[in-house]
Amino acid sequence: MSKKNDGFIHKLDLSAILTVIAIIVLFSCSIGVILLAPYFTETAWRQPSTPYQVQMYEISDPNFYISSTPRGQVQERQLVYHLKNNFTLLAFQENEYTRIIAPDDLEKYVTYIEDTKIKLTSRLLLLRQYTEKTSKKAEELKNKLTTEWEKAHPDAAKEGISKPAYVVLELYAPETKEAFARATTDGIIDNWVSEADTTFMESPQQPYHNDLGVIYVSNPEEYRIAKYKYNQVEYWRYDPKGIPIASLEQLKSHPLGFMSRKELISFGEHLYAIEGCWYCHTDQTRTLVQDVVLNGSDSFPAPPSSPNEYIYQEITFPGTRRIGPDLSRVGVKRPSRDWHKAHFWAPKTESPGSIMPTFRHFFDNSPSGTPSTALGIPNYQFEAIFQYLMTKGTRITPPTEAWWLGKDPIKTKEIIEGLRTLP
Amino acid sequence: MDKMDKYNDTPVKLMLYPAILFMIVGMTIGTFIAFNAFVFPDYFSGEYIHFGRVRPVHVGTVTLLWLLSANIGLFYFFVPRLCGVSLWSPLLAYISAGIWWFTLVLGVFSYPTGTNFGWEYAEFPNWVSAIPTKPLLVIAWLMIVCNLFMTVATRVYEKMYVSLWYAMGTLIWTTFTLLVGSYLVMMVPMGISRVNTSWFYVHNLVGLIYTPMGLATAYYFLPKISNLPIYSHRLSMVGFWTIAFVYAWIGSHHMLHGPISQWLQTVAGIFSIWLFIPVWTVCHNLFMTIALDWKQYIQSAPIRFIIMGVAFYLLTCIQGPLMSLRNVAEITSKTDWIIGHSHISLYGTFTFFAMAGIYGALPVITKKPLWSNKLADWHFALNLWGSVPFIFALWVGGFLQGMMWATWANGSTYAQFHNNLVNLTFVDTIAEMHPWWTLRAIGGLIILFGNFLFVVNIYNTIMLAPSKEPREVIS
Repeated sequence: MSKKNDGFIHKLDLSAILTVIAIIVLFSCSIGVILLAPYFTETAWRQPSTPYQVQMYEISDPNFYISSTPRGQVQERQLVYHLKNNFTLLAFQENEYTRIIAPDDLEKYVTYIEDTKIKLTSRLLLLRQYTEKTSKKAEELKNKLTTEWEKAHPDAAKEGISKPAYVVLELYAPETKEAFARATTDGIIDNWVSEADTTFMESPQQPYHNDLGVIYVSNPEEYRIAKYKYNQVEYWRYDPKGIPIASLEQLKSHPLGFMSRKELISFGEHLYAIEGCWYCHTDQTRTLVQDVVLNGSDSFPAPPSSPNEYIYQEITFPGTRRIGPDLSRVGVKRPSRDWHKAHFWAPKTESPGSIMPTFRHFFDNSPSGTPSTALGIPNYQFEAIFQYLMTKGTRITPPTEAWWLGKDPIKTKEIIEGLRTLP
Repeated sequence: MDKMDKYNDTPVKLMLYPAILFMIVGMTIGTFIAFNAFVFPDYFSGEYIHFGRVRPVHVGTVTLLWLLSANIGLFYFFVPRLCGVSLWSPLLAYISAGIWWFTLVLGVFSYPTGTNFGWEYAEFPNWVSAIPTKPLLVIAWLMIVCNLFMTVATRVYEKMYVSLWYAMGTLIWTTFTLLVGSYLVMMVPMGISRVNTSWFYVHNLVGLIYTPMGLATAYYFLPKISNLPIYSHRLSMVGFWTIAFVYAWIGSHHMLHGPISQWLQTVAGIFSIWLFIPVWTVCHNLFMTIALDWKQYIQSAPIRFIIMGVAFYLLTCIQGPLMSLRNVAEITSKTDWIIGHSHISLYGTFTFFAMAGIYGALPVITKKPLWSNKLADWHFALNLWGSVPFIFALWVGGFLQGMMWATWANGSTYAQFHNNLVNLTFVDTIAEMHPWWTLRAIGGLIILFGNFLFVVNIYNTIMLAPSKEPREVIS
């Protein structure tokens, strides 16, 4: 062997070098075409489906707080909005049983029952139980409504209809720039209006206020808590006459321990990964009749999954196998928190024939030692996985244009019934 | 004797022996799952042993701790022998083996505690407590790559045999693939870009790591054990280049009908069909080699393993391209068929090749004949006859499941479709799978028993004095 040709390159003969180069070239080619190119050519891979999707993930989730671990008594999960002046859009709406009274300067913000358009404002206002000052006006209004109802239902006692309890709330302007409030919500879908049904009470303060439709918080009332002691341990509970939440830190730290929906969804995604949910459940409604039927409602098929549904996910779980049903539309098919509670506790009881394991570690024991229900108390892991699941299928389109109302933008039903061809 | 002392086989032993142990561990976990998750769902239940947390341990153990490690051990065995020099640096091999086993065992067995990374076949965690498992694994791998490449570079035999080509290809592809699946997947934008990258990784893992590793082993050991020349060197090169050309393009066929661009699905489908070329060349080449002397199939267990492995390879690679056709995928995709398909390739083909390799290498590295050929025969028989109920149950069951799902699409109005679903709910189709899952579990038990015999045979070969059964040492 000559000394001259001792280098690494010389010892690999030409064919080997060409092999290495060719392998790398072929590999890079495929990476370029199938991994990099689609990001530039496929807009759906990076553009959100609707402004609603953007607002839900970017505006609503970070400002919506959920008490994941109720401390003290077995109390209902608490939902609290973090409202910010000139940021959060608010609406104060009357309905059949709710009336709102307001001082003269705030009257223009109230959407009265006879109004056709919802009035939205980004000025921080809140509702509360009427005070002494306004009690006379409120009582009068209540009596008036009750009398009217009695007139309209003269045979109420015979028909067995009970008298409705009218609520009168007072609108006021708090002195703070931000507030914590409870409001009318199911915790899954936020209020959304299409442009035509809204009037803005001032010029848009935030970019998202200009969106085609917009999410808003309906009828916020300040969230107040009261602390109490039981067996030497301090607990807290919701109390409209209690003390308000002082800061975000207080809301998030012990003993209140709220988590934003954004944090919960992200944690739920982590749980979905580590619990291995994705080994049995797929997260895609394929472009097959059987899939859109499987995920559909009684009267409408689910639209097939589109790439932009996944753009807010750190990890996406399309899945390889279905030995549990597909989950891409579970937020619409199974929105009930109670159903999920029972199902995670005992899947085989809740859906007979299922082979899903139990997830008892999503539940804590009752602190008093004697559980008041057959299930444990759902802990933050349950809340996280529940919130994560509830994003599935619910955020593609605004709720007012939802596929489960038959307003599917790609007309899945017509396509599978053969009345329409694929675009 | 001179020739045998030329090669330092301690690195081979450091990779092979633990790998054999982990094969049994992995298959035991697999069998446990088959019973505890499917035949008697949740007989043992709890946070750390439910299906979702244990399944990745099974997959990680058999793919990384067994198959990948065993193949590296076999590389350490035949790469120096094909180069005519000892391994470049045994010390580097000892260090890399130390890091390799430490980090892999730690990473894989930490999954039930909640370290799953969340991507298919890429569950390996970045961190376990304060230990950076994934970076360590990459470092160990790069050491192995460096060691083997330097061995090739310092070789004295000028002509490179096809196994060396495959080995070199594997070393480059695995490095890229590992980096894509471990790091790139979290760097690309969120959503479908990541999914696409993940499937690219998943298919390269099988196609560009296990396939060339397994084929390198088969191409080395079949001629070596049978003492027959390889049928065609040129044909093996055709196979090599088509594998290099085709595999990296086909990842998206995992997303057929899914939320991914139609043109990507089509590209993946077209390249998948091209896979027929490498498969036929490999099968033809290896079958024609043994065709010179079929009697050896009866006489030698390792040859049976290779030839049955090739047969399974043919099956899996007829399935694979067909499954990437949209109309076939409509039925098979997302059913247990897929599980059957992944087992026939990683177990039926490449595990069979690796076992044949171990049978071929063991007498050389221990300088003793195999302890019992009869036990090896039983090992093969139980593996083959266990894999029949195992794999065919998954195929038949999966196919029937897909057909049941397809009945929801009968009719022409949504009311009819929905009515089909009401009459046959999703859980009904799961209940129908129970007999097939039972059959699969029984098959798994037979295979596990067969491999237990294998471990006994290997252990006795290493530890005991040679038995009196006459057997020639293959060198």
